[in-house]
Amino acid sequence: MGCVNRIDIGSLRGLLLKCEKPSRYTGGEYGAPQPVPDAGGFNFCACFPDLYEVGTSNLGIKIVARSFEERGMCADFCFAPARDFGGGLKEAGVPLYSLALKAPLKDFDMLGFSLQYELSYTNMLYMLDLAGIPLTRAEREGGRWPLIAAGGPCAVNPEPLADFIDVFFIGDGESVDADVAEIYKKHGGATRDFYREISGLDGVYVPALTDIEYAENGEVKKISGVTRVKRALVSDLDAAVYPEKFAVPNCESVHDRAVLEVMRGCYRGCRFCQAGFIYRPVRKRSVQTLTRQACELIKNTGYDEVSLNSLSTGDYGRLRELISSLKEHLPPEVTLALPSLRADSFEGGFAQDARKTSLTFAPEAGTQRLRDAINKDITEEEILRAAKSAFDAGYSAVKLYFMLGLPTETEEDLDGICAICEKIRALYSAEKRKKALRLSVSVATFVPKPFTPFQWEAQADEATIKARQDRLIKRLPRGVRLSWSAYYPSLLEAAFARGDRRLGKVLKAAYENGCTFDGWDNLFNERGWRDAFERCGISPHIYVRERGTDEVLPWDHIDVLVEKSFLAKERERAYAGKVTGSCAAGCKGCGLQKNCPAAGGAK
Amino acid sequence: MIAFKYEKTDGAEYISHLDLLRHVDRTLRRAGIKVAYSQGFHKHPRIFLGNPVPLGVRSLSEYGAIDADFCGDFKEAFNACSPRGIKCLAFKQTAEKPNFAESITACRYEAEGINAFDTARFFERDGLVITDLRGRTADVMPRVLALERRQDRLCFTLRCGENNLRPDLFCSVICGIYGGEVRDIVKTDSYGRNVF
Repeated sequence: MGCVNRIDIGSLRGLLLKCEKPSRYTGGEYGAPQPVPDAGGFNFCACFPDLYEVGTSNLGIKIVARSFEERGMCADFCFAPARDFGGGLKEAGVPLYSLALKAPLKDFDMLGFSLQYELSYTNMLYMLDLAGIPLTRAEREGGRWPLIAAGGPCAVNPEPLADFIDVFFIGDGESVDADVAEIYKKHGGATRDFYREISGLDGVYVPALTDIEYAENGEVKKISGVTRVKRALVSDLDAAVYPEKFAVPNCESVHDRAVLEVMRGCYRGCRFCQAGFIYRPVRKRSVQTLTRQACELIKNTGYDEVSLNSLSTGDYGRLRELISSLKEHLPPEVTLALPSLRADSFEGGFAQDARKTSLTFAPEAGTQRLRDAINKDITEEEILRAAKSAFDAGYSAVKLYFMLGLPTETEEDLDGICAICEKIRALYSAEKRKKALRLSVSVATFVPKPFTPFQWEAQADEATIKARQDRLIKRLPRGVRLSWSAYYPSLLEAAFARGDRRLGKVLKAAYENGCTFDGWDNLFNERGWRDAFERCGISPHIYVRERGTDEVLPWDHIDVLVEKSFLAKERERAYAGKVTGSCAAGCKGCGLQKNCPAAGGAK
Repeated sequence: MIAFKYEKTDGAEYISHLDLLRHVDRTLRRAGIKVAYSQGFHKHPRIFLGNPVPLGVRSLSEYGAIDADFCGDFKEAFNACSPRGIKCLAFKQTAEKPNFAESITACRYEAEGINAFDTARFFERDGLVITDLRGRTADVMPRVLALERRQDRLCFTLRCGENNLRPDLFCSVICGIYGGEVRDIVKTDSYGRNVF
């Protein structure tokens, strides 16, 4: 890569001063890695297709970059510039550059995009375009372009992005990403032999080596070529790579605090939750490791808050021990945040910062019947008990998350939402309290996701969702604040989550129509998307329909190690209203027994 | 208390004042310098910085103070843990809070990229009317205290604090009159009580 093409920030002064939060684009963060170009013969840039404040809060890209550094390779970062700066770069003819080295993205050997949500896909194209890199694999073929890679949770159904991405990383990225770099070096670039060799690794999917045939009715007819890609799995999380230094962002980020990854995976297996299946089995870090990492992070960042992250931190068996160990070893002013507590594991004693007044619970559904159908495995009693202990600990605001359009949902379930709100209100006013209760309810539209028991389900249509939202608006007790999400973005999310390769041209057309930052309500361009679907002659509705159980699913060649028959069985149990419950209470036989510590299959 | 002079340059000129406060707080925590906290309901660390310097203006002459019992070499400790471009230049122990936001009344700047003009005759002008970011107009001539040219740089001293004149605004007005495009503005000195 050399040092020839570095972008001189001084030359961008005029543009920077015209843009909101220019410190997003200048680098120099305290604790940021200082990559050396060409170190270890490989230059990697972790790319996050959303704003700096969002991307700098993401733990995954830090872990991936660290795994390259550990092998002595060069690793840098890049985030999607806001439209003001992106437009300015394009106008000035300056290519998108990496943060630390200020090197144009096109000079790297590999760009690794993190796919956290479907609505960030256009931003990936936006970043490639700003970098001056052709968007599609076909256009790049034969040229000297960086290897375009992508990973993260959305990569479990890589097909909608297959036109654009050379290599997908499926599953844990701690080691396989850098393995691919070593093989790239060995072959002197992205040769045919290189692709053939990496496609043999667990966790690597090369879309060029897999063909998809479609039937006339629009279903996938046949998947050929490489037809099985196993997810990469890190079995020992305690020994896995973890950055003990975080770059402290120049401007306030959405999660401006030190983050510990307490566990990966979740015991619960809620049937709507993709993360609950694709991150199986549950792997934990030890109290000792977490305490050491927390102390290092606080020392190296100067943050005054440590967040204990996982899908369900209350299920970490030694949570009490962890909290007291952290309190003992960290400076006294450092507060702990427990962002993912289930209502059944909440205790007032966990109340952390006296200034915090709001607490969020996610019952997801309004009645016990529906909660059982989605395997949420939580009772109304537990929700009310959690609310009461929160109120007794001084909280005066509660936010409840629900989903609309869940399979088997009826009006009774909506009325259940209203009933829970009534009960919580009654609970609050049963005792004399200092402040008035603030109760808010947030309802999202259910999006069926691949690798969940609901992967075959239809998404509820717009009229149904609207009618249900209206019912809540009319019936929720007075004083409860209701917020809901727009339908069209949820439809897009559902189409791309369960989409196939044919969506590539829609995505490109949407980008050409000016769609970027689709996850941002204020920037969402519905007309651009509608026009893109129309122009490509594709309806999003073919992707959100119910799938037949004997149908070839577009992601059938990806193996996340959870058996399809287990998912089907779980779907049956949903219809029968049967709770399966937590893996911690006994193995349910999802297919990962061999790798699962809870099932006795691994250490 | 510890009063300190610091620079904000080398990319840090794009960091906003609010973010700068956070960075100073974190730098001190990393350095192991314990800052006293205010005693109110919303406790905050007792860190006091001078008036904000406009975004994009570099500075070699910023001042701040913290309430901390620290007897070591503050400059060394701070600089070992501060972000790029935010570096302590000097410090001293003081008994009282120096309140730089009030005590600094004028600052000297140097700007690059403004076309050469007869600076001696500048003060013969009838006035210098500017429109501020909120659309208000004012004659700011009395707020310009000195002006001279040194090679390719325009050096000028403006009032600060009360009757403040922003250097970036001043430069754009001057460019409007005499031509040029500012490439760089740097604050080189601060004048007033308590500076060192």
